[in-house]
Amino acid sequence: MNQTASHRLAPNVSLTIIAGFLGSGKTSLLNHLLTQSGGRKITALVNDFGALNIDSELIEAQHGNQVSLTNGCICCSIGDDLMRSLADIMRQDPLPDHLIIEASGVADPTRIAAYAAVDPQLRLDGIVTLVDAAAHQLHAQDPYLADNYHKQIEAGHMLLISKPDLVEDSQVEHLEAKLRASYPKTPQARVRHGHLPIEVVLGLQAETGEQTTPPHAPQILSTQIEDHGLASWSAHLHGGLSREVLAEKISSLTPHVLRAKGVLRDAQGAYALHYAGGRIHFEDLDVQPSGHFVLIGKPELPNAQALSDLFQTASA
Amino acid sequence: MSTIYQAKSIRTMDPHQPHATHIALKDRKILAVGTAQDVADWQAAWGPLELNTDFADRTLLPGFIEGHAHMMEGLLWDYHYVGYYDREGPDGTIWPGLKSIDDVVAHLKQIQATRNDPSEPLIAWGFDPIYFEGRRMTGADLDAVSGECPVAVLHASLHILNANNFIMDAADVKNADNSEYIRRDDSGKPTGEFLGQLGMYMAMRTTNLDLLAAASSPKTLQTFSQVARQTGVTTCTDLANPVPEGAEVAMRETVEKDSFPMRLVVAFQGNSLPPEESVARMQALQDKQSDKLRFSLVKFVADGSIQGFSARLKWPHYYNGAPNGLWYIEPDRLREYLTAFTQAGFQCHVHTNGDECTEVTLDAIEDALRAHPWPDHRHTLQHCQMASRAHFKRMKTLGVGVNLFSNHLYYWGDEHRAITMGPERAGRLDDAGGCLEEGVPLAIHSDAPVTALAPLFTAWCAVNRVSSTGVALGGESEKISVEQALYAITMGAAYSLKMDTEIGSLEVGKRADITILADDPIEVGAQDLKDISVIGTMVDGLVHLNKGRDA
Repeated sequence: MNQTASHRLAPNVSLTIIAGFLGSGKTSLLNHLLTQSGGRKITALVNDFGALNIDSELIEAQHGNQVSLTNGCICCSIGDDLMRSLADIMRQDPLPDHLIIEASGVADPTRIAAYAAVDPQLRLDGIVTLVDAAAHQLHAQDPYLADNYHKQIEAGHMLLISKPDLVEDSQVEHLEAKLRASYPKTPQARVRHGHLPIEVVLGLQAETGEQTTPPHAPQILSTQIEDHGLASWSAHLHGGLSREVLAEKISSLTPHVLRAKGVLRDAQGAYALHYAGGRIHFEDLDVQPSGHFVLIGKPELPNAQALSDLFQTASA
Repeated sequence: MSTIYQAKSIRTMDPHQPHATHIALKDRKILAVGTAQDVADWQAAWGPLELNTDFADRTLLPGFIEGHAHMMEGLLWDYHYVGYYDREGPDGTIWPGLKSIDDVVAHLKQIQATRNDPSEPLIAWGFDPIYFEGRRMTGADLDAVSGECPVAVLHASLHILNANNFIMDAADVKNADNSEYIRRDDSGKPTGEFLGQLGMYMAMRTTNLDLLAAASSPKTLQTFSQVARQTGVTTCTDLANPVPEGAEVAMRETVEKDSFPMRLVVAFQGNSLPPEESVARMQALQDKQSDKLRFSLVKFVADGSIQGFSARLKWPHYYNGAPNGLWYIEPDRLREYLTAFTQAGFQCHVHTNGDECTEVTLDAIEDALRAHPWPDHRHTLQHCQMASRAHFKRMKTLGVGVNLFSNHLYYWGDEHRAITMGPERAGRLDDAGGCLEEGVPLAIHSDAPVTALAPLFTAWCAVNRVSSTGVALGGESEKISVEQALYAITMGAAYSLKMDTEIGSLEVGKRADITILADDPIEVGAQDLKDISVIGTMVDGLVHLNKGRDA
């Protein structure tokens, strides 16, 4: 497992890269994320704003290559210069909470991810790669693009199987099994018409301050989780929980856990945990931790009681 | 005033009259070309014409045309050159090549010691470590220049940047995700070398300095034109430019001045906008053109570079086993763009380095032409370094031209033989001989600032085909003659820009763009072609003498 730690309290912009071939559903997913942002301040860097086809009633203003939505989200066209577009975004004040970069269909997403490593205000949340269930065979055998295709899947911290409704269920299952065999640690989820709980793609929100809601109050999750055949679980972990132990516990759930977030403490102090498809990131906090811990995963996750046993017993 | 220039020799590139000694200019155009015997007739028909003998000992050629360069050449001279080879600056200063990392550091130290404000970022360019045995440059090397200010060294390829620890500390370079774009030492610590545009981004974020922000400023344009003039170029391309709204007006103000010694052909960067908007932008640029400034081309970059292992090669791919390179545009998307621009009637130039990319691009052009037939499209493949005879035959059939990157033979020939493609494919690298034999219109280029802008040197590379260590690449069938090479840097390039009715040869009616040389390249011959001194140029009949030359 890949672990990172940031010790800065500077505002962190969480970076999500959406990769996948032309026609794999990146645009639908982006449209969904931008219009169902649920209060998150999202800026998206996209290849072609026009293709997003955002409802004109949601558009507040348009200046050059930048479009502001009424919900506070912003969408910018990359043009052919990702570096400069990114630098422009990162110079803005205030910074967005989330930055989504739509990789071009032939981009190496790890190349984009590397920007986060040299920018103190940017934190790589993860690479989400869309795999088109209907075109997988074609893409995997494309004489010019097959190597690219496999590279993008390999780079994905989470694989989203798109257009599962266009093919037989058995075909989707076959694809999922094949991907699981090649990338056993990479979690997968299905996405139809771009619809997926936003928490899966952009991460969970957890209360950071003092506990304000009663335990087991999963209202921070959209109600779509179960609709998508996913499971969620949340709890308040009252005791301390060391980062190492927590990392170990979460890894034991691989690849069934898609997302986790917690605002906890250990001997080193308060911290936030962000887990996105195989990547764990710990962020030092200077607030009183709420103890709130949430995770989203596949139905294969252990049941609530078992999860409770796994995490509650560890926190003492 | 109308003038007759008398020269020792005039090589016209006009088959009707390849050689002459006198040329009459009137109203910025060529009135007549001939010999001393013709002068009386010209005086009778058009006189009086003033006889000018300033260049009576010189050789005149059609103004050289650089069909593939970048305006960034003009910007980089704001920074400090630290390349391996000697390079002539815009003012005629020869900057000696630096032959080791220590030389580079010593040179930058000297600059740092004499700067007015030593806390400002110190930026150098042109660095190329492939010529150095052993170790690579590190952050500590550049800290020796200064640990108190940002120090960045941009590589010749423009795709790698070395930073000092001052910059890396400010960027708080993270250890996560062992990215192949951040070079690390054995202990995992970043060495200071950043690949792709990562280094440039980091420098931008930590110094607030956009290294390339002034890309189209008047000063950049001026410097660019001065570098061009020093090497005899009278028409130069900028391949490519996103031409943001308003840039066309600013460019025109500078270029239109009589003191500006160059015609500028700006290729619009086609994929800077989605296809429909991109075509519309190109259409909007058409009435912003002038005699000296053109927005007549659309450019696409379809793959990366061979030496950077980012070009798309056919099987057996890279000689050293490196994974195949990157598409910079999806093949389907490229087809979409080429179809849209073909339909709209705009000529497209496509960067294709590897042979797989060349094939895919030819497929896309063929599809575009099936949908929208256009006999004289002159779509052109740029670089096209690995094209085989079969590719050239297909280009001929499709009406596609080529602009080969002949300077590669010299600068990277050894690397191509030993590392990227092996001796056989390196032997047909930038196969100008094969291209002409198959009947494909040929131009050759420098890709400045990647290599130095100097058409006579580029011609020398295509004629001699030797690497910097003197190793021959290929044989006679890949070479071209001096005459063919001179044609490629004049008429060949003019054809590739659809300007061959205006410039490229010295014949009646064409624009008076002339390169003035100390010696006649046909007499000098293959061996010393690159060493001929460029005295100056004429653009629209206006003389621009070079610095550092005695006219």
